[in-house]
Amino acid sequence: MTDVIRLPALGPTGEYVSGTEATVHDVAGDLIGALALVPSVFVTRALSSLRKAQPLSAEERLSAIARAGDLFSTATVSGLSPDAYVHAVCRVSGLPVSVIHSAAQATGHRAHNVSRAVEAARPQDSVRDWRDPLTRTGRAVWVPKGEVFAVHASGLHPGGHSLWLEALALGYRVAVRPNPREPFTAHRLVAALRMAGFGTDHVVWLPTEHEAGAALLRGADLAYGGDDVIRKFSPSPKILAQEPGRSKILVTADQDWREHLDTIVDSASHHGGAGCVNATAVFVEGDAGPLASAVAERLGALPSAKPEEAAAVLPVQAVTSARALEKFLRMKAGDAKPWLGAEQVVDELGDGSAVLRPAVHEVDRPDAPQLDVELPFPCVWFAPWSRRDGMPALRETLTLTAFTEDDGLFAELVAEPTIANLHRGDWPTYWTDTGLPHEDYLATFLMRCKTVIRS
Amino acid sequence: MPTTDPLLDLPAHVRPDPDAFLQAAMEWHFNPETGSPFWLRRMKSLDFDPRKDVETHDDLRLFPNVVNELRDVPVTDLVPRGYGAEPEIVGVFESGGTTGVPKRVVCLGDWLQRFVDWCNAKLDAHGFPRDVQWLGVTPGGPHIVGKLFERSAYTHGTFGMFVDLDPRWVKKLLAAGKTDEARAYGDHVLDQVTDVLRSQDIRVMAITPALLDRVVERDELVKLINEKVSAIRWGGTHMDAASRQLYRTEVFPDTILYGHYGSTMVLGVAGERLGPAGDADCVFDPFSPYNTFSVVDPATGHNVRYGDRGQVVMHHVTKSLLLPNNVERDTAVRAEPLQGTVGDAVADIAPVEVFEDGVVIEGVY
Repeated sequence: MTDVIRLPALGPTGEYVSGTEATVHDVAGDLIGALALVPSVFVTRALSSLRKAQPLSAEERLSAIARAGDLFSTATVSGLSPDAYVHAVCRVSGLPVSVIHSAAQATGHRAHNVSRAVEAARPQDSVRDWRDPLTRTGRAVWVPKGEVFAVHASGLHPGGHSLWLEALALGYRVAVRPNPREPFTAHRLVAALRMAGFGTDHVVWLPTEHEAGAALLRGADLAYGGDDVIRKFSPSPKILAQEPGRSKILVTADQDWREHLDTIVDSASHHGGAGCVNATAVFVEGDAGPLASAVAERLGALPSAKPEEAAAVLPVQAVTSARALEKFLRMKAGDAKPWLGAEQVVDELGDGSAVLRPAVHEVDRPDAPQLDVELPFPCVWFAPWSRRDGMPALRETLTLTAFTEDDGLFAELVAEPTIANLHRGDWPTYWTDTGLPHEDYLATFLMRCKTVIRS
Repeated sequence: MPTTDPLLDLPAHVRPDPDAFLQAAMEWHFNPETGSPFWLRRMKSLDFDPRKDVETHDDLRLFPNVVNELRDVPVTDLVPRGYGAEPEIVGVFESGGTTGVPKRVVCLGDWLQRFVDWCNAKLDAHGFPRDVQWLGVTPGGPHIVGKLFERSAYTHGTFGMFVDLDPRWVKKLLAAGKTDEARAYGDHVLDQVTDVLRSQDIRVMAITPALLDRVVERDELVKLINEKVSAIRWGGTHMDAASRQLYRTEVFPDTILYGHYGSTMVLGVAGERLGPAGDADCVFDPFSPYNTFSVVDPATGHNVRYGDRGQVVMHHVTKSLLLPNNVERDTAVRAEPLQGTVGDAVADIAPVEVFEDGVVIEGVY
């Protein structure tokens, strides 16, 4: 058993220990960490410090973020080596160690490319700096909408945290309220940013209970995330709330699904199948049964393992929450045809934790309510689809991968406002790259253009 | 008029022997000539004789918790007959209504006098300046805190100004999920506080911790308080140790901070124990033997050990009112009482999550 990792808050004047702690347990229920909780008054004062702080120059910010990315993936930060960090996140999130490891590498990579990522979002006719000679004849200058950005982290996958680096790059001061189940990634990233040159009053890490979390939301200009506080206060124009992904796959009749089986299986199960970019529903023009059967056979063969084992590919949770998910799935599945049913979803490891094994169900119509049920493990619903059913079944989608020869249909999908990202052919739902939007560009939310002309 | 045991009429600074006092109070409240109609009626359904069987503070647990009966008892039935035909009623006060229909108690002049004298001595001990202007950011009514503020301001201070609070409305807003409206109400209150502080020579403030948290969002208000106010009395909701430490060391470093913990239902508050500077613990001592606490295991009703957390039970035993075994909506850590006092001191108070099947809403007031 390793030592308990005690994380002080990272406040505007340095580390802060309040005396009140929240504990962090791993998937087997063992105590693994403790966070110093900060009260509302601390949050309010921290945000006030952030607001008063002078940001680094754009160049300094970008180079510091890049250095922080290197530190994050390779250095000992706050006493945690990269391996110790990966192990801790793996044990609390239950996500396979390979997933956590590659997420740590990806965070380093994204930190180096944050400039490209935000530049991709800049309206093409605007300039970044009022000193640009183009403003002498009148130009749009791309400027932040506010000064202080609050992140209410909710996901267990560490990858989500590289997104708010963009706010820091754009000149915001950032306050992060960690997910109490997996606080390590946000802490490590904030600590690395401080090591790399950001002032303690530029980026803070503030674990809070609900009330102080609300103070964090109130005191910031803009906020982003998906935790309990965000859910309570959204919708609000200053809040960008993370929603379920409900990513989908569409296979039209002109396709042989056998050629795309790898992509479909991978879309459901990549990164443990726990992400918003993992496929939740697969629509097949014609009979969905054979594809569901083939996917079930492949997913059913995935091994069960503890998350820290090299063989791990499926997520692990505490038995109690795994059983709750099983019960929820059984209730939701109803009369759907189980290819891999709820009864085989929980595979107990004997230490208080359980592997969440894939679930594959088939429903008989494209508007079945099950198709919206997104769960944090490979859980995929197959449905028949026809041109007559059209767009309604395909709406409200983070990423849709379409296998079709039909340009007209694809054009319709591109035009559909509630589909955020569209892949055609063998591009799995989780695919992304630097400079591409996730749910639109974050910078669209953070920035605006203003006319500047000067003589 | 029947004779009164002098033990029931002692000035604040003279503390009676707790057991002798308790026995005198039982004689008063359960003697048909002096007791209140409420208790004389209620006595018939007790399975013990208070005048015989209640000898020490521990025996108060023989009494049932009658507090829910105070939701509909005519308040005049609560006044002991021993006060005669013209009792000096200084207020009828109500509970917050957090857990249902409000409960009512009657406060008589002799108790208020003794209680305010005790409060003023505590203010002196904590270094509150005498004869200065006060500002109260508290409910004017129907809770006792408004009356206490007024008496404190006019006896310890010269006079007080008021910004009224309606905590019941705030609780209603929060219960309905209208956080924006609750917040707007808080802003409305703090705007008024700012106005008073800008122009008036306020040196002492009484305010709730939840509003103090909101004060910190306003740089001007923090500055005004630091410039003008030398002492803050807080109460009404809880203040966690970390916040208290931040207030004392960073937000209001030169201001005295002194906390109250109490309840309208026991017509009193406990005052923060004067500790060494920088002491993290905030222990509250009630005005024993009149207001006393027990910290108990809710399952058994027995005291928890010192240092353990339990549910707070409050008792009020004076000539003016008997209200034993009032189970409060708070939990606290049981602390050793001051020497010569009975019952428990309490520390680290926190609200219980659910109380009598209603969800407790602490509120931002």
